[in-house]
Amino acid sequence: MMMALIDEIIYAVLAVYAFGSVLYFRGARTGQKKVFQAAFIMAITGVVLNLLVLIIRTIIAGRLPLSNGAEFLLLFTWITVVFYLILQKKIQYKGAGGLVLLMAALLILAGAVLMKEQFGTAMPLMPALKSPWLCVHVLTAALAYAGFALAAGLALWCVWGKSQAIGNSIIYSIVASGFAMLSLSIVFGAIWAEQAWGTYWSWDPKETWALVTWIIYALYLHLHKKMESQERQASIMVIAGFVFVLFTFFGVNYLLPGLHSYGVVLNNLNLFG
Amino acid sequence: MTAGLNRLSRERQHFFSERDYMDSMKKIYHFISTMKTGLMLLVLLGLAAAMGRVIFPDSFSHAILFKMLLLLLLINMTCCTINRIIWFKSVFIYKRRKGFLKQFGILLLHAGIVLIMIGGVIFSCYGGSEQIQIVKHETKDISHVIKTNQVKPISMHLDDFKIEFNDDGSASQYYSFLTLLEDGQTKEKAVISVNHPLNCGGVKAYQMSFGYKVKVKHINSEGMETEDLFNEGDVLKIPGTERVVKIFRYIPNFDPAHGMTSITMRSDNPRIIFSVYENNNLLGVGAVEFGERVEIDNNVFAVFTGVEPYTVLCVKSDPGLPMVLSGGVMFMLGVCLALLTSHSKKAVRK
Ligand code: HEM
Repeated sequence: MMMALIDEIIYAVLAVYAFGSVLYFRGARTGQKKVFQAAFIMAITGVVLNLLVLIIRTIIAGRLPLSNGAEFLLLFTWITVVFYLILQKKIQYKGAGGLVLLMAALLILAGAVLMKEQFGTAMPLMPALKSPWLCVHVLTAALAYAGFALAAGLALWCVWGKSQAIGNSIIYSIVASGFAMLSLSIVFGAIWAEQAWGTYWSWDPKETWALVTWIIYALYLHLHKKMESQERQASIMVIAGFVFVLFTFFGVNYLLPGLHSYGVVLNNLNLFG
Repeated sequence: MTAGLNRLSRERQHFFSERDYMDSMKKIYHFISTMKTGLMLLVLLGLAAAMGRVIFPDSFSHAILFKMLLLLLLINMTCCTINRIIWFKSVFIYKRRKGFLKQFGILLLHAGIVLIMIGGVIFSCYGGSEQIQIVKHETKDISHVIKTNQVKPISMHLDDFKIEFNDDGSASQYYSFLTLLEDGQTKEKAVISVNHPLNCGGVKAYQMSFGYKVKVKHINSEGMETEDLFNEGDVLKIPGTERVVKIFRYIPNFDPAHGMTSITMRSDNPRIIFSVYENNNLLGVGAVEFGERVEIDNNVFAVFTGVEPYTVLCVKSDPGLPMVLSGGVMFMLGVCLALLTSHSKKAVRK
């Protein structure tokens, strides 16, 4: 029952985010308060439905929705929109909502296309994933990615020249928090890898690309002060960072052929694939 | 007089060259210890890792150039961190400025990275790691993995290997039941499973993989019986016949519809897949149960009597691990202090 329903709800989330995005864009163009209100209602509806999907997954699988690509994507998208709504409340600026919700819709769409089979099924966890580190590792990664997504949305909005209201310092704070979370996630992952595979760092694709992403944001944080007068360059760096985030997530899982993200193939059987 | 002048100029020369030397040393130190150099190295490292990953996926991290980059980064960050400690002391201990936590966090996070890298160097110099395969009831020496002042030989004996299954037949955990022997004497009994490695006196062992050896009894035309263990893929030559048997694969849960792949890893319906050849010509392929007598040639039989599991463990000694772990904890703490504490405080550093 719930398994059949989950696909429908995911399409609903997709539609609501997309529609909300259109309304936010329209609101930003016309400045009508009513349109913004409708957009806000859409965003809230999307967040509620997205949360519902996460809850259903928790019930189907009998554990927190943190252990495969699809669950990660749903969680990360949800946190992104929640972060956006908190920010909107805090700085009373609604313009960038169109971009953020558009990104959320595209992420859900990508999940629906690439990971469809993962949504409704619940397979028992493989032994490598049975670890208390799973929760902290994946949760911090989702928080980091959500921060980076939000920052990229805001930065794109700035580069587009749509807003002076979002200062670089807000973007900086969001990136800094995301960077802290990514750092934690990488260390938790390394601690876990040491326990599961016997090496804390093996330069596997996910590790390598996570490090590259980390370096990009580290660079941004270090150069940020020097770029105070060049807001545009700083924004472009934030957007570029998010491109690497997306590559670390989708690219490593789907584009690099023949590479098992978490697989170690030995002899004839494989405990981690 | 001339002699005196000469001496003077020589001394002067000496004096000058020493100052030049000090100057250039300072310049070099300055160059390798600045953040600019560090950031450049970081960019190079990122590029090298990304490109290496794509072009030489298996070997880039062993390349000498790559290791050099890591080493330079280590030197740079060590100098940076030392400079920072000196600066930190002068500003916060003696002058008691504001923003202590944030700056302390930055210090901690950089020092953490330095420790992690030093720990990595210690592993590559004094550590060892190896995959070993132990068949049930077999003992394997693991002394060579430990490279630091090891006195007594250490070995491992596999008492048993078990798989625990979920209801759907997928594996929920793999267990190796081991006895650790020191100098041939039982030192410790241990159970290793995925995510639960053994940690015993500087050696760690991890459950990596497993497999099966096939027990085959063959009976030649004189009625002589011989039993041996074979790997999957091995070829059995039986005296008295030209024909050979290839023990292709053990399938724990056989279904003709799935062919050569097992439905699950649980031994619900075990079969041995084998093929028979004569002068390199395939005569036939079969899937038999344990204990079935297969006639290979006139009066020559083979019986697959069972399988014996083996475990594959990663055995590792890493004297740098405590340092890496403390570095990791420092790094995490530092990152939180530096980036999650209030951003409103402007950094005091000029
Ligand atoms: C140093 C080691 C590790 C690093 C740097 C790392 C990095 C990452 C990153 C960046 C993510 C975010 C999502 C993504 O991009 O896919 C992630 C997610 C995840 N990681 Fe790790 N990881 C490490 C170790 C591990 C280990 C040892 C395991 C399990 C055996 C693991 C299991 C997962 C899972 C299940 C997810 C969530 C969803 C997905 O499959 O993408 N990670 N990791």
